[in-house]
Amino acid sequence: MKDALQPVAAVLHNIVPMATDNHIFSFLPEQPMALAPGQFVEITLPGVGSFPVSACDQVRDGLITACIRRAGRVTEALYQLEMGDVIGLRGPFGKGFPLELFKDQDALLIAGGLGMAPLRGLLQALLDDPHRKARIIVLYGSREPEALLFREELVELSKEAQIEVRFSVDFAETLPSLDDRVVCKIGLVNELLTDLNFAPRQTVAAVCGPPALYHCILEELALIGIPAAKIFATLERRMRCGVGECCHCVAAGRYICKDGPVFSLEQLRTMTEAI
Amino acid sequence: MTDFLSPNYLLTPSTLDTLADAITKLSPLAPQVNADGLCRLQPLSEGVLSSQALSSFVPLKKVFLPPREKLWSFQSGQFSALKQPEPFAVVGVPLCDLQALWYLDQVFADDLPYQNRRARALVVGMPCEQDKECRCDRQLMPLAGDLFLDQEHAWALSPAGEALLRACGAGETTNKPLPWPTASAGTRPMLTEEQYRSAADAAIWAEAAKGCLSCGACSVVCPTCYCFDMLDESATDGSVTRNRSWDNCFFAEHAKVAGGHDFRSGRANRLRFRMEHKFFGFGALHGQNSCVGCGRCRTVCPVDIDLDQIATRLSGEELA
Ligand SMILES: Cc1cc2nc3c(=O)[nH]c(=O)nc-3n(C[C@H](O)[C@H](O)[C@H](O)COP(=O)(O)OP(=O)(O)OC[C@H]3O[C@@H](n4cnc5c(N)ncnc54)[C@H](O)[C@@H]3O)c2cc1C
Ligand code: SF4
Ligand code: SF4
Ligand code: FES
Repeated sequence: MKDALQPVAAVLHNIVPMATDNHIFSFLPEQPMALAPGQFVEITLPGVGSFPVSACDQVRDGLITACIRRAGRVTEALYQLEMGDVIGLRGPFGKGFPLELFKDQDALLIAGGLGMAPLRGLLQALLDDPHRKARIIVLYGSREPEALLFREELVELSKEAQIEVRFSVDFAETLPSLDDRVVCKIGLVNELLTDLNFAPRQTVAAVCGPPALYHCILEELALIGIPAAKIFATLERRMRCGVGECCHCVAAGRYICKDGPVFSLEQLRTMTEAI
Repeated sequence: MTDFLSPNYLLTPSTLDTLADAITKLSPLAPQVNADGLCRLQPLSEGVLSSQALSSFVPLKKVFLPPREKLWSFQSGQFSALKQPEPFAVVGVPLCDLQALWYLDQVFADDLPYQNRRARALVVGMPCEQDKECRCDRQLMPLAGDLFLDQEHAWALSPAGEALLRACGAGETTNKPLPWPTASAGTRPMLTEEQYRSAADAAIWAEAAKGCLSCGACSVVCPTCYCFDMLDESATDGSVTRNRSWDNCFFAEHAKVAGGHDFRSGRANRLRFRMEHKFFGFGALHGQNSCVGCGRCRTVCPVDIDLDQIATRLSGEELA
């Protein structure tokens, strides 16, 4: 029996500053670790604590990569580390996005704020598929233009016509000058849907953002015509163990860490009070 | 559910003595009432055969899921593995705690520290007398453990228990049913999940939770409460130990995430959550009522909150 509570040592391999308090960290675990889009690992800083995080990229050369916000006690301590320092990783935990469903289907990725981090992991998986021909549409809302994560990369991918991107920002004096292909509006991310031209019946949607985002947008996507079984959201909860034991993450009688964190709208409709 | 257990044995005096010796070698713990009036699980002071089942203030779970246990340590860039526990025994376990043990066995089926202890423990149940607070129910769920002893009768609850009985010379089998106390199953309230959910906004919750002090005592003494947190401890030599310690769904931080969002804010929500867990179960155990009716929570609660009473009100039944 594997001890799921025992971390594997990993070396902090690289730190790439992106936006303020949102850096990309990559770790090289002592033993190879798989991590699919939407799944998560628990990062342990011995003596400080641990926190759950999803990958923002595919595992490449054994590296686990995540975009991590400086959000509190343990993440603050991570920002004090230097390359070469040793941390612990546990995982992979949970069920990620069903990649097979995205095959031959248009992908609609909708992110709010830090929600872009896990969706960027999904995006990388889609881009890595050499046979993929279907559209990839990214709708991404953030408080202000500076807080848009992976902004340059998304604009670049859009220029190369690999994806279609629309940004929204809650506040801005002036909108950033982006490429002509990139739509940018002031408002909420669901407003980006209104004049979006796409084929709901052949689309799979993935949504990740703060709890408030889920209240309206999931049912809105269903109303537009995306089948509820093809609309996915990843739920955030306090998570400690990751394996369905400690009870912190429970919602609607289910261990979000184990049964999720990715659920379809079809599932969520039966999960009272989960969103 | 577990009226008969086969095989069950009629033991001769010499077989009983051999068995008692074998158990004594395992430095058994047993529930014992101390001078302060509190019943604790502690090293057995008298003979195995003269002990009896008692409801300890803190239940059997503390043996397998200790209030605080070391999970690993970290020094010079290395995480160390777990130490294996020594074999041990627990005797005088009441039937409700054997049911609770079955429940925890399911929850922690893949948990290495828990299973290490279970594999090295001999758990021996004994008959108890029904207390006025008890509402146990033999139909609720199966029993876990290794042996059940009632004077010259012995029941094998596990292959290890059976092997031990045979090794001690047990031969003759009987068809005696387990000595359950005259259970008051009929008085347990039936609450359906629909009733629980439809009462989502009912004043019943707010009212029931009004007096709750969020002290968490009910979960500490509950034999099927198992939630935990993990906290680090640093030593002066630079080494770090991660401990797993009991947590409690009544604590304000239980469902809070970074940024301050609380997925279960307020006492009423937390009381509801505890009730949901007890009566309906989570994950793979959804549908399994895990309140074994031991009455510990009711007894310990400083403001007399009683889940059964809340259930009765939610289900619209008259109070008994
Ligand atoms: C499945 C999942 C994926 C996530 N992916 C990312 C990501 O890609 N990038 C990112 O920056 N953040 C992500 N988060 C959120 C991240 O886990 C929290 O920001 C982090 O736990 C904050 O820890 P802290 O100690 O710095 O904050 P504090 O607020 O000081 O936290 C105190 C304690 O609460 C716990 N805690 C606080 N918030 C959470 C939370 N949301 N989930 C679980 N435990 C929590 C911590 O473990 C810590 O012990 C994800 C969360 C989940 C559940
Ligand atoms: S009576 Fe109370 S303490 Fe005993 S099992 Fe039920 S909820 Fe837990
Ligand atoms: S969530 Fe509450 S009711 Fe469930 S085990 Fe934890 S403390 Fe007990
Ligand atoms: S994180 Fe422990 S049960 Fe889900």
